[in-house]
Amino acid sequence: MAQAGKGKLNYRCPSCFMRDLDIDMFYQKETDEFYCIRCQYRGNEKDVLEKNEMVRFRYGAMAKRYTKFDFD
Amino acid sequence: MDKFIVNIIHRPEMVPEYAEKVTGHGKEEDIGRKALLTESLDIFKFQQEMAHKYGLKTTIQMTYASLFNEEAVQIAKEHHEKYGDEIALSLLGLPCTEFREKYKTKDFCIWMFSMEDKKSIVDDVFGKFYDIFGFYPESTGSYYMDADLINYVKEAYPSVKCAVATCWEEGPKAYHTCNNSWYTFMDGGPWNPWIPSKQNSHAPAANEAEDSGIVAIPHLSRDLLACYDGNGSNFGTHPQNVLRGMIYDTETWDYPYLYNLIDQYRDLEKYNNGYAYNMMFVGPGWLNKMGRWEAPYELLAKSYEDGMKYYGELKEQGKLTDMTMAEFADYYRQKKTYTEPECALWRDILYGSDKQLFWYCDPYMRACVNMDQGGAIVDLRPYAAKLEWPVGIGTKHVTDASYPFLIQEKYRAGYFTHYAGEGTVRSAKLKYNGEEVDLCLCRTKAHFSQEGNTRVLTLDPVDIEFYDLTVKLQSVISFEEGSSDIKIERRILEMSNPEAQVEINEYMVACYGTTEYSEDMTGITLSAKKGEEVQSLSYEYKCRDIEMAGADEVRAIVPQIETAVSMRSNAETAVGYVKEGYAFSPMFTLGYTAQVKDKEVIATWLKLEKAN
Ligand SMILES: [Zn+2]
Repeated sequence: MAQAGKGKLNYRCPSCFMRDLDIDMFYQKETDEFYCIRCQYRGNEKDVLEKNEMVRFRYGAMAKRYTKFDFD
Repeated sequence: MDKFIVNIIHRPEMVPEYAEKVTGHGKEEDIGRKALLTESLDIFKFQQEMAHKYGLKTTIQMTYASLFNEEAVQIAKEHHEKYGDEIALSLLGLPCTEFREKYKTKDFCIWMFSMEDKKSIVDDVFGKFYDIFGFYPESTGSYYMDADLINYVKEAYPSVKCAVATCWEEGPKAYHTCNNSWYTFMDGGPWNPWIPSKQNSHAPAANEAEDSGIVAIPHLSRDLLACYDGNGSNFGTHPQNVLRGMIYDTETWDYPYLYNLIDQYRDLEKYNNGYAYNMMFVGPGWLNKMGRWEAPYELLAKSYEDGMKYYGELKEQGKLTDMTMAEFADYYRQKKTYTEPECALWRDILYGSDKQLFWYCDPYMRACVNMDQGGAIVDLRPYAAKLEWPVGIGTKHVTDASYPFLIQEKYRAGYFTHYAGEGTVRSAKLKYNGEEVDLCLCRTKAHFSQEGNTRVLTLDPVDIEFYDLTVKLQSVISFEEGSSDIKIERRILEMSNPEAQVEINEYMVACYGTTEYSEDMTGITLSAKKGEEVQSLSYEYKCRDIEMAGADEVRAIVPQIETAVSMRSNAETAVGYVKEGYAFSPMFTLGYTAQVKDKEVIATWLKLEKAN
């Protein structure tokens, strides 16, 4: 296999993102997959996007528009 | 005097941070590439256009590189004439062919150069600015400006009155997020504008003698809960940071969080005599045509326009005043006294936890009170020490510009420790018949009030349930302006057995440092004092303690950060104590135990002082 390169966007590793680590993944054209150089994650674009939805679980109020900021 | 002010800042950066690394991957480094220069200028133009489209004025911070670019200079002059934008000068964006040739380094963060280079660079950049515009700027900035740098700029270029001077809580957390490749640390500063002292730019000036002569503003307005726990670069008034945090709906491209963040900052006027502030400063690298992280350019551009649009709408409704940095400095000087604190009662607006924090900052301390831990103090920076802490090459702190803490619950544990030992926190424990309950486990909410010169946090009462006794307790935390004291009152509102007597242990576990790793505690002095009687010990990791009935005060002197911290109590039965730590748990503890009965109120004060 040839050396890896960058995909069309700078997808970060979803697994590392969940531990507050921003790591761009590299893209292997022969296998059409992104892989992480730090952890063991690998997956195609579809899988990355799915996992990116998953990492949002922590943002329980992401869709909420707040109008009150105290508890008075 | 209800006022919400925004500073919008743009910089024509000819070699945007990130852009070279990201878009240039697989090419040899060439910071003079024509395509890079053209794209950078286009981004700057787009940002300016968006601000003006929504009726907002900006501060144009010229970079050194942009001073060599006629078009960038021309745009700045035109927009100053037409829109009232301020032409200012940034110390960011140094890299360009001219700079590299002269300084022969890839360093680009002004605060990390040697003092000699700092002066020389400032002179080059300010001199070039003067050559081009015929005047010296009133505003400048970088991600961090150390005290020596600010003092030099003010001395050599007295026209400067405003500077971007810190990124809130960009320390070890940002370092980790960047895979430990980001060697710059600047935790422990104010989150909103302040007047930096001459000694340490994080610590606000207490008086005219300490006044550095400028008004400092933070780089971005950051989420005071999310950034404290997580990566600072995901949670600020920077639309692309919100995208970086993946805090948007991938189907609809909606990001209510950005508006919640702006609105919560607006809401802070309640705690600051009717004044609130926001800062948006997006570097061109974030609006990369190639997209950024998972976000395509279209989403990057949309989010920037939406940010400007929201500020524009608020302005139209009379709810926002847009100012240039220099205008803001004048406004701030006129409305602010040295000792007036900055206060923020902040709620979680992202995770849905309803957690609540209170941040307090004045010339003597920065403190964070956590209502989710019964009002425990979970972060404490002793500004009273006005620690001189030179940073950059040739100093003891090349990369670490953080103001040291005494308490930091994320780096040095808080209430919970994993196996043994104790974490840093200021809380209290109640003891009855062999059972013990820490207030850190009593989740509650606070209400803010101001009584004269004192800011008061009144917490909702909590119930402490022992096997056969329930105690209803209320904590009231007061910060008296200029006192360098935090007063914590415990009110016993009710006991299920009115005859019962409970022991209350008011304690503070502390250490010192700027990172997660322990520093040498040797030489810290712990003492208890009653009248003329003083007992003390010098820290040697020997797990010793001192107890003194009726102690006037218990005290720790931490010579490493020139800080003295002490506690005193008004309880008649109070017994003061100090505890030395040990190697596995290198902390010290100050505290008082006292017996309390139904309807009693006791108070404990924590004081910070400079120790030479
Ligand atoms: Zn990974």
